[in-house]
Amino acid sequence: MTQTPGHGAAGADLVLAPSQSTPSVMADWRAGKLEMQGESYPENTYEIFDGIISWVQTFLELTDRALRVELQLSYLNTSSIRAMIDIFDRLERAAHDGRDISVLWLYDSRNPRSAELGEEFKEDYTFDFEILAIPD
Amino acid sequence: MPPAPHPSADDPLDVRIAELLADDQFHGHPLRDLLEALIERMSQQLTRLERITTISDRYQAGAREQMRHISRRYDLQIRKLEKAIRISDRYQAMLADLNKALQEASTHDQLTGLPNRRLMADRLLQEDHRTQRDGSTYSLLAIDVDRFKSINDRYGHDVGDQVLVALGRALRKGLRDYDACARWGGEEFLTLLAGADLSTAQLVAQRLLDAVRGLRVELPEAVVEPRVSIGVAEHRPGETYTDVYRRADDALLVAKQSGRDRFLLAREPGSDGSPPVQALC
Repeated sequence: MTQTPGHGAAGADLVLAPSQSTPSVMADWRAGKLEMQGESYPENTYEIFDGIISWVQTFLELTDRALRVELQLSYLNTSSIRAMIDIFDRLERAAHDGRDISVLWLYDSRNPRSAELGEEFKEDYTFDFEILAIPD
Repeated sequence: MPPAPHPSADDPLDVRIAELLADDQFHGHPLRDLLEALIERMSQQLTRLERITTISDRYQAGAREQMRHISRRYDLQIRKLEKAIRISDRYQAMLADLNKALQEASTHDQLTGLPNRRLMADRLLQEDHRTQRDGSTYSLLAIDVDRFKSINDRYGHDVGDQVLVALGRALRKGLRDYDACARWGGEEFLTLLAGADLSTAQLVAQRLLDAVRGLRVELPEAVVEPRVSIGVAEHRPGETYTDVYRRADDALLVAKQSGRDRFLLAREPGSDGSPPVQALC
């Protein structure tokens, strides 16, 4: 897992290569975009999610730009689910304060259950949360 | 709430005492001075009590407010956890399904849906253990498609696949539920007849042979009528399934060499030196 130095710092991108138990992460400060793809069941969830949460928090605090989140997560363990809910809660607060927030939940069309998972995450949130099958 | 003045003008006892204290006839009486001092002290105590009550009320209000705050946060956390658990359960159900599919894929032949060699080997090992335990027996039928290569060459591999699927279905249909039929190799099937001795196995082999002889795989411009050869062997005490299989396979080979579309029983080599297999078409 590679990590750009000083993640969470203002203006910095956060790039994590995927490992067997962690997703790839690409947080682009300039584009205002966070992408996560893969599976997440690390032994220590904080190791990966602390950086992501702090990047999101810093972006929301230091800019007033739109944030777009693209997720393609085929498996999450319970701790990772909690961390994702934590991120969504922050996004919800920001959206409530008038920020332009959008989430795109991508799923494999061969696995329709993943769409239901997206629906389950989406529940209770008022920001734009789209659930889309990945085109073949 | 401001403390009520003491003594109170509304309280009959306070009023009565005030009247007595004001009455000149009691002036100089030692009890009157004591009563006055007592009333003064009581008034001070009451004032202090009121102050303590006010402060205490404020603390209680603060504590209540904090409790409400904590309770709100608690409810929020609980909702969050319940959501996480709900989602987690879904992921687990998804994994369980995937696991089942992988299990099926790793133990069954994709083309025919029959058990694959791995599952069959497991089953045969169990059968070996069972024969050791209770002295029961079993028989194996090694079944090979006759001239399969020429079917493939003439009609293509898709037709070859169709033939295998049709054969797999026909063989499975001709067996009891507790028998097993696996795709053992390319065009070879292996059938386990649990508890069957050689004479029972012979009947089953004949039945399967007849079932295959009635099989027609219809193509747009032709009809393929596949045939099979079968080698039959019964487990002997002390043998493992690989030994039994080898004898069934030897019998199969002789069946092939002696004209195909027939079955052959592997039997004990005779003391007269007769071959260890016997044709019984």
